[in-house]
Amino acid sequence: MKIRLIDVNKEYSGKEVLYIDDLNFEEGYVYALLGLNGSGKTTLLQCVSGLDSFTSGNVLYDNCNFNEFIKRDISVMLQSPYLFNSSVFENIIMGLKFRKSGKKEIDERLDAYVNCFNIDELLSKNTRELSGGEQAKVALLRTAILESKMTFLDEPTASMDIESTLRAEKLIRTMAKGQRSVILVTHDLMQAERVADYVIFLDKGEIIEQGLANKVLNFPEHKLLKQILNRGDGNDKNSDINY
Amino acid sequence: MSYYEEVIHIVLLSLFVSLASTLIASLAGMALAIPVALKDFRLKKYIVRLSETSMSIPPVLMGLVVYLLLSRKGPLGELKLLFTPAAMIIAQSLLVFPIIFGLTVSAIGGRGREIKKNCSALGAGSIDTLILIIRECKVQLFSVVAAGFGRAISEVGAVMMVGGNIKGDTRVMTTYIALETGQGKFGEAITIGVILLLVAFVVNFILHGLSNIDEK
Repeated sequence: MKIRLIDVNKEYSGKEVLYIDDLNFEEGYVYALLGLNGSGKTTLLQCVSGLDSFTSGNVLYDNCNFNEFIKRDISVMLQSPYLFNSSVFENIIMGLKFRKSGKKEIDERLDAYVNCFNIDELLSKNTRELSGGEQAKVALLRTAILESKMTFLDEPTASMDIESTLRAEKLIRTMAKGQRSVILVTHDLMQAERVADYVIFLDKGEIIEQGLANKVLNFPEHKLLKQILNRGDGNDKNSDINY
Repeated sequence: MSYYEEVIHIVLLSLFVSLASTLIASLAGMALAIPVALKDFRLKKYIVRLSETSMSIPPVLMGLVVYLLLSRKGPLGELKLLFTPAAMIIAQSLLVFPIIFGLTVSAIGGRGREIKKNCSALGAGSIDTLILIIRECKVQLFSVVAAGFGRAISEVGAVMMVGGNIKGDTRVMTTYIALETGQGKFGEAITIGVILLLVAFVVNFILHGLSNIDEK
């Protein structure tokens, strides 16, 4: 699925919090949305995924407007995912049930995905008994198992330990194979370097730099990004960020 | 009709009228409250305020309104429902409805929105989303129903006016207690009062049990 944003903006109470004149998401890529707190990453993710809407502008999904059919090709893991009050198993297959998948398909996908985090022993547990990290794994798995054409992940590894984070990153890479893509919101620049093909850096609701991950993260052009990455001239060795 | 037969009739009629009105008010109240809780629109604030105000409508006022509607010269007079259990159910449903509506809006509120968003994130349709919201909030919703039933079973003013407290026909526990107390028969009044408390306790116990099905 290809997504194109044309001259979109988002306002809250008349105040503009996001403006993008042109942005494309192509098939087969992992995109990382980077930026400081309040830069508009989550707003962008929610508006593009259809959970929210832009105040103005156009978003085209394979050259069509958002509709019920497109909704089926999109899945989202929210920043604070809500796990339903049932077993881990029920939560993981919840989205497949919404899509009316058959038992055989559910079993096959479950076998394929549960191994990503080795959580077999958790399947029968109620989600209320899980730790924060375990909940994040379940939330990521229930999104990944849908194998959607476009998957949006909002800080999926924020509460995971390092081992689980690396497993999750491996899973995220597999979610962008063929005609599928992933848009990942993260604060972890190293994670973006490990996982993303393309990086979009936001500041105060606008894209200040975008491009291939290797290029942007190793040879940033924007002053703010240079300061954050500490890869600029002598002045940038000071970790304080100046606007 | 012996004393015991009368008591049994009174208890059963009280239960029937209260449960029927709670069921009607719950279905209507929740069906309207859930969309209101999940969406933002211009009049929402006023609708919620109106429902909260309606929660404290005096039962005798509601009784008067229903009486006027159902009386022979009223707009619904041809239905000949006045002084029947149906009239009592109508009056009680109207009294319970704002309680169910208002408390459901509060109970669903933020959590319902969160569930709705997560359902959308997984591609759920509106029916699946609604079922999940009800399932996830069932403890709160059963508490709302219990509050509505409490209002219905303890109500006396409206059912007295539209039911008429007719022996063997529209007499319920609360109107019986009022009548017996007025006649100085405190023993009978206390007996029915204890039964009323027991009935309310059992129904609440059942509702609580239902809300905890599947809960650990």
